[in-house]
Amino acid sequence: MNPTPDNPLPSGAVPAPASFPVSFPASLDDTLRLVAHAPVPAGLKERVHASLMEAAPHGVAPRRARILMWPASGDPSAIWMGNGWLRTAAAAAIVFVVAGGGWGMYQRVERPTAKVIVMPVAQPATSGGFSSAGAIRTPQTVKGPVVMQPVTKTTSKKQTRKKTSARLAAPSQPAAQAPIVIAQPVSAVAGGK
Amino acid sequence: MSTSEAIYAGWMEISDSAVEQARMQAEDTALAALIDQYSGTLYRVAFSVLRNPADAEDAVQEAFLRVLRHRHTLHEVRDHRVWLIRIVWNVVLDRKRRAKTRPETDDVADLARVLPSSGLSAEEIAAAAQHHAHVLACVDKLPPKEREVLLLSAFEELSSVEIASVLGITESSVRSRLFRARNLMAELLDHARSLR
Repeated sequence: MNPTPDNPLPSGAVPAPASFPVSFPASLDDTLRLVAHAPVPAGLKERVHASLMEAAPHGVAPRRARILMWPASGDPSAIWMGNGWLRTAAAAAIVFVVAGGGWGMYQRVERPTAKVIVMPVAQPATSGGFSSAGAIRTPQTVKGPVVMQPVTKTTSKKQTRKKTSARLAAPSQPAAQAPIVIAQPVSAVAGGK
Repeated sequence: MSTSEAIYAGWMEISDSAVEQARMQAEDTALAALIDQYSGTLYRVAFSVLRNPADAEDAVQEAFLRVLRHRHTLHEVRDHRVWLIRIVWNVVLDRKRRAKTRPETDDVADLARVLPSSGLSAEEIAAAAQHHAHVLACVDKLPPKEREVLLLSAFEELSSVEIASVLGITESSVRSRLFRARNLMAELLDHARSLR
């Protein structure tokens, strides 16, 4: 087992059973150590080297994007304008088709106009039915509160003095107009008696 | 005039293919050095899980094939040893998962081949192999997380930090899993003893 302090349990923490030659954790450690230190078969390195050479005589090429990686026949330079141009053209064609298709679908689909709520037109009552005869229901309204203006009963003494002095100081005013009395004809009065 | 001076002077040109070839040669050399240095470690890691020499060797070869596929990124790897162990660990776990459908190999016979035979009689070797097979069967009963940490902790060259890096967990998780694994193993072995 790992002799470093990574092992939280000390070796031999559990009492040894009678059937096993050593204590449990020690037995476990022995087994794990045995497996971890298994002898490496002879010639392993050579076989690994050979398998890699078989798998890739010139080395396995790193994985690249597999899109548009079709094998070109023969020498790539023999193809018109080279292989790269063909790939670029094919990619452009694919992009054009996809974009064109998307644009066409976008054009065909009806786009929703501005949100306008259309109210249904009021249809005249059909014959034989009842109508409201143009009556419009008016909802009952509640009378609002009446605001009472506060009446000031007490007036200051200064104001009353001023008013009285002003009244006295004023020149002789014409007498208050006498109530208009409409004279009635005597005959009418006598006839009444 | 040296080569670099000639290049700067524009007299010589190094073709792209030559540069590419030199780069591939350097990568091949680095890969060969990795094989020479770490194939034994990778084999032991693979054997600790698969417990079959042929399967372990296949796993090592598959791991190096994966490395070959990504050899252009070798210079970006900081710790090649941990990186390779992580690769072979994933290969081994894939194989173990696939092998569940197949009949299990004879652990006792494989372990008998691994056991040191010096100073032991055939009967003792057989008994020891049977005992180790029994312990390993108990290891197989552990939960996968605990079992992985327990198996990797058996490698003295791997610290808990490196085990954490291989498994992609924290160091504290490694410690707690190892603690649980050892407790569970003690219980399992105790239970097996009581059944006898």
